[in-house]
Amino acid sequence: MDLSLIIMQLFSGIALGAVLVITALGLTIVFGMLGVVNFAHGALFMIGAYAGLYLASLTGSFWWGLLLAPVLVGAFGMLIEFVLVRRLYGRSIDDPLLLTFGLSYILVEGVRIVFGSDGIPFPTPSQLIGVVDLGVGFFPKYRLFVIALVAVVLLLLWLMLEKTRVGLIVRAGARDPQIMRVLGVDIGKVWLAIFGLGVGLAALGGVLAGPMRSVNPEMGTLVLAEAFVVTVIGGLGSIVGAVVAGLMVGICISMVALFAPEMATIVMFALMAAVLLVRPQGLFGLKGRA
Amino acid sequence: MSTALLQAEGIGRRFGGFTALEGISVSFAAGELTSIIGPNGAGKSTFFNILSGTLSPSLGTLRFKGRELNGLPQHRFVHQGISRSYQITNIFPDLSVHENVRVAAQAMHVSYDIWRRRADLVELSERADAALTAVGLIGKRGELAKFLAHGQQRALEIAIALVSEPELLLLDEPTAGMGPEETKDMVALLERLAEKRTVLLVEHKMKMVLGLSQRVLVLHHGRLLADGKPEDIRANAEVRRVYLGQSEGYG
Amino acid sequence: MTVQSTGEAPSLSQSRRLFAVLSDHRVLVSLVALALLPWLLPSKALAVNVLIYGVVVMGYNLLFGYTGLLSFGHAAFFGTGAYLTGIAISRWGLPWFAAVPLAIVASTVLAALIGTISTRTRGIYFSMVTLALAQLVYYLALQASSFTGGENGLRGFTVDRINLLGWQVNFLDPVNKYYVLMAFAALALWVQSRILNSPFGAVIEAIRENEQRARACGYDVERCKLIVFMLSGAISAIGGSMSALHLSIVPLDSLHYQTSGMIVMMVLLGGARSFFGPFIGAATFLILEDVVSLWTPHWQIVVGAIFVVFVLFLPKGIWGTLLDLLPFARERR
Repeated sequence: MDLSLIIMQLFSGIALGAVLVITALGLTIVFGMLGVVNFAHGALFMIGAYAGLYLASLTGSFWWGLLLAPVLVGAFGMLIEFVLVRRLYGRSIDDPLLLTFGLSYILVEGVRIVFGSDGIPFPTPSQLIGVVDLGVGFFPKYRLFVIALVAVVLLLLWLMLEKTRVGLIVRAGARDPQIMRVLGVDIGKVWLAIFGLGVGLAALGGVLAGPMRSVNPEMGTLVLAEAFVVTVIGGLGSIVGAVVAGLMVGICISMVALFAPEMATIVMFALMAAVLLVRPQGLFGLKGRA
Repeated sequence: MSTALLQAEGIGRRFGGFTALEGISVSFAAGELTSIIGPNGAGKSTFFNILSGTLSPSLGTLRFKGRELNGLPQHRFVHQGISRSYQITNIFPDLSVHENVRVAAQAMHVSYDIWRRRADLVELSERADAALTAVGLIGKRGELAKFLAHGQQRALEIAIALVSEPELLLLDEPTAGMGPEETKDMVALLERLAEKRTVLLVEHKMKMVLGLSQRVLVLHHGRLLADGKPEDIRANAEVRRVYLGQSEGYG
Repeated sequence: MTVQSTGEAPSLSQSRRLFAVLSDHRVLVSLVALALLPWLLPSKALAVNVLIYGVVVMGYNLLFGYTGLLSFGHAAFFGTGAYLTGIAISRWGLPWFAAVPLAIVASTVLAALIGTISTRTRGIYFSMVTLALAQLVYYLALQASSFTGGENGLRGFTVDRINLLGWQVNFLDPVNKYYVLMAFAALALWVQSRILNSPFGAVIEAIRENEQRARACGYDVERCKLIVFMLSGAISAIGGSMSALHLSIVPLDSLHYQTSGMIVMMVLLGGARSFFGPFIGAATFLILEDVVSLWTPHWQIVVGAIFVVFVLFLPKGIWGTLLDLLPFARERR
């Protein structure tokens, strides 16, 4: 097989993985901080895609959609935390999971009511239509943009976590929630912000994925399973784990798609099973958490 | 003296870069009540967790009745004859007091039988009642464990550990969180238990330990600092130094 | 909570005794209720669905309610039970009494595989891993279309009569169909009740209550979890077989995450950790679906909202909450 084809497919995998990384990061940050796995994460990804599409057609610019959708959906996530999830802290760890699962039902059906059940095409922004010559072959501009944007977002997240006071609180809190009380931090506000951030990242993933996948109310189901696979492989609560596992899964999927397209969706689950057999806590997970 | 019941040789344990325990070699003769004391962070709990199979040692070997225990999963320890209680009350909250102990008794005999009726296993039920009588909880047998008072829950946990008829009973701070009255009851119970079996305690309350035990081990910074009869420990200058200014240790 | 018999009103102790008798004969009580069901519900089709999903959810309850393991992938066993029954009848020409046990065994083997991986993880991980592995089964069935019919589901078999020891029962008649399928449900109820009353039934409850203590008591917790996972999968597979016989098709959605989620919803609505809860939950869900879809095609939004209200305010479900309200039923499930 042609080497340049493999390299191109590798780039595709990175682009696919980049969206997975952003989506799984939202899930893993919320878990690390709140101990909650958001089962509505996939549905909120889908809402993000619809919101991006709607805002883009409203303003006439993809860029407004890309900017506003994560912010607005993130704010909606904060509302969810404040009104619903907050009531369940201190109850069984299953309860927030069940609640957000019920919520995903409502969100998916809500989108069906507003936008209908059929898929909608998400047009690629005009500036990013076409291909670039990478030397080894031609690669879609939009995918290159996705990779670059995710890299920038990761850098910003890293700077926020490492260099700011908020980041300090988040890192300390993820390791030991008790420390928050000692530091005199209003834990409720931090939870609110982190939940909003997690949902905002899901929505960003949704907007970015829009032009690469078709947008439909059911798209969140596969995304939820993908995000779970990535976080389980990387280790729940581990940010490095989400990045490494996300890229790994993305590359794996597109490589397999090259040789055996019918196995592409299946391979990530097999990868997860293999990792679990060797390291039940995931590649970068802490042992006690698994 | 016959061979030791439990023998620890060069036990060490590291957590990442931190050495919690180093070079502990002791043996415990059958029939003794031994206490392990030491300031916070001395490695008592780590040592205790190793003896009960909850943790595996990074170094050293553990022998029970001459048989090596290294690598044995925790659930097999009870079947060897080593049973434990926990520092923080560890019971089955939503089961009845009787069922708490009955299910523990059952572990020694039948785990995977999905067809017989457990109501037919009368002997297990009787054994559970006997253990409840021994700790003074028989009057509460029908209540849900979560509704018991703190001291009663501690006693229930001892009944759970006791019902497997262990040769070695490991008790992690059995009087933790108890008031003076409850502590007195517990001490009386411990004395009765020690009449018939080997007991190993981890304790914080120095006075109580010195009055109760036949032998005391003092751990400090993960090492064995002293080992002897209570009166020797009381007279030991190094132990005094370690405990000086740690008045709460004398409880 | 010390309720000694001393200061009690006689009527209360009488109802307590009656209740004790009823729960000692819970299989019989369930069967009487199920036998009346077709005549109480507006349609026979609805009654058959309650019967089928009641069995599926009951098997699931063994895992979630009694052992405390929240699986989000139980559709894998329901679906495999249905597919294997259909494939055995349509492709291999087996009679129903060979096809059904075969399907149950196959589902149990699948549960052993998924259980081996998922029971190595704990807490939230378990829910995520079961969801992912069940989706793996779904995509495998989608790809293996020559075997499963792929996206269109498994078609091309009809069960129009059932041979009961030489007696040909017309299976197209809804009443006959219901009572034949009820025999499967009776089997499932009996097995479930035996398991719950067995020594192993005590072990899984101990694991739910306190995994660490159960291990310290001498139980091999991981192995027990795997066994209960397999038992749960096997009982849910009975429901899958019933569904295949009933519909004469197996939709691909039987394996989908939506179906797993529906099973979770049903058990929570009815009341996890109770014997009657699963059937009550299945009936509630299906009746809601029936009623709400009369005035809106978007019934899922209503069901989702009701579910959220249950999680927030009635986590014990309808039956569990009812038991808490009745003084004579307290502490007896």
